[in-house]
Amino acid sequence: MWKNATFLLKTASKEVPSLCGTPFLQQVRTTYILKRRFPTQLHKKGGQPKKLRSRHYVYDLVKDTTTEKQPNIDVILTDFVEGYGNAGEKISVNSQFAYNNLLVPGLAVYASPENIEKYKDQIEALADKQTYSSANAALTLKTLSRMTLSVVMNKDHPWTLQPWHIKTSFRKCGYVVPEDAIALPEKSITGPNMDSEGKEFYVIVTINNTEKVNVRCRLHHWSTEIVDRIPYVDKFWENPTEPIYSEFTDVLQTIPPKITKLKD
Amino acid sequence: MSSKAVKSVKGLGIFKKQGLFDKGVGALLPEAYKKFYKEWRLTEPTAVHYIPEEGKWKRDELTGEVIPIQNIPLPLSYPKEHNNHLWGGEAVVQGFQIRDKFRRRVPHFWVPVLKRSVVHTEVLNKFFSVIVTDRTIRLINSNYGFDHYLLKTPACDLKSLLALSLKRKILKELDAGCPLYKNQPEIQSRLLNKYGKYLEAYTSEEIDWYGYSYTEACNRIQKQMEEGEKKVPLKYIYRAELIDKLRAAKLEEAMSQSLKSSQSGLDATWLRKMNPFGKKRET
Repeated sequence: MWKNATFLLKTASKEVPSLCGTPFLQQVRTTYILKRRFPTQLHKKGGQPKKLRSRHYVYDLVKDTTTEKQPNIDVILTDFVEGYGNAGEKISVNSQFAYNNLLVPGLAVYASPENIEKYKDQIEALADKQTYSSANAALTLKTLSRMTLSVVMNKDHPWTLQPWHIKTSFRKCGYVVPEDAIALPEKSITGPNMDSEGKEFYVIVTINNTEKVNVRCRLHHWSTEIVDRIPYVDKFWENPTEPIYSEFTDVLQTIPPKITKLKD
Repeated sequence: MSSKAVKSVKGLGIFKKQGLFDKGVGALLPEAYKKFYKEWRLTEPTAVHYIPEEGKWKRDELTGEVIPIQNIPLPLSYPKEHNNHLWGGEAVVQGFQIRDKFRRRVPHFWVPVLKRSVVHTEVLNKFFSVIVTDRTIRLINSNYGFDHYLLKTPACDLKSLLALSLKRKILKELDAGCPLYKNQPEIQSRLLNKYGKYLEAYTSEEIDWYGYSYTEACNRIQKQMEEGEKKVPLKYIYRAELIDKLRAAKLEEAMSQSLKSSQSGLDATWLRKMNPFGKKRET
């Protein structure tokens, strides 16, 4: 990108004379609409306006447009934008945001009558691009696929892992996941079994009944008796481990690992 | 005819002050430039810094007196830096504030908020980093793009030489049929369809002279004239004259010489006879 347009004009055609100098500095920098406090003298019909006196230069500020809220404008997206929508979708966003982040980078076009007409047909053509059920679906998908869920189960009483266990574990991390959106792998996990302590498995979460994402989970045992508790492991997700059953290996390898710190 | 005569008679004895285009190099400037200058400098720009009152008359609320409405625009000033920016019609207003009932008025400058941003022209296929105001961005948005904004807005509102020269470049590109997109005929035809309507207001000569400041235009026409006339050294002219005279006297030697000054073999033959590496003559 060109650093400065004047540079271009100077080098390309030498049409603009060099107009560099000291910057025009003032204490207050605002965009404003002013009004004369004292009205000007009336002049004759069709005649020259009368000379302005000093008092005609006394102005009152009517409105300062920089402090006003920027109006929203309509744009049509030409590509999927995370948190905003799919290609071909018409959205209403803050004008400044739209200009800086959508229009100039070429992710959207103005919703002018021609563009609306033009993109009516193109929505179908653009449909083969990856689309999502909602604007935030992609973000949720990405977040869930990168997390390691800690599933804490009882050490004293027998249990079989159920979706509501996973739901509770999600809630502990701050994710509200409905029970019907959680699917467990076919081979059931039972316990308490200290062989599977700290080992990995996966669950399948369905977002908006469309997108499916595999979430990496780690099993931990916990007892109400303080003496029986397993010592606390700091940053358990950084310790390497293996799957509970060897059948889970293929799926677990496809899930991207959680990266907390970059290696040097 | 009669009205013309009356006009000329009326003008008798009145000294008419010479304008920019009446004297010196300015008088040589083409009509196309004068048209642009009128649009740029002699047209009233849109009211940005005040709200003009509508209608012809208004009534005084207290007395019911009828007063004519006369909108006198605020005097604006443009620092020289604004020619490198895009202010979108905004300007610096110099005036006074009365901050308190019992205080003397205070001089004040109202200066627009400037920020650096990016504008994109579709026709030139370029991104520019320029200093703009919020109003410029708002105008670009409301016109559905920078190209539309430049082409739609008259010169009196664009004001800055940067905007005007960009407009000239875009108009020239459109007038030439977008040679930039020679290899993409689809885009080329789309752009010409989209922006072609703006070309109707201008002829090619007007586009050529669009967006120059007065000094720039004067310099340009002066340069054009200097390039136009070929200077022939006087020695060629005198030589041709001499040969003419000799021919008149019917001298044999003169008959074989050519008359044209440019073909006067002086430079060619005389130089060819020269041999800088030959034997040195004894003097």
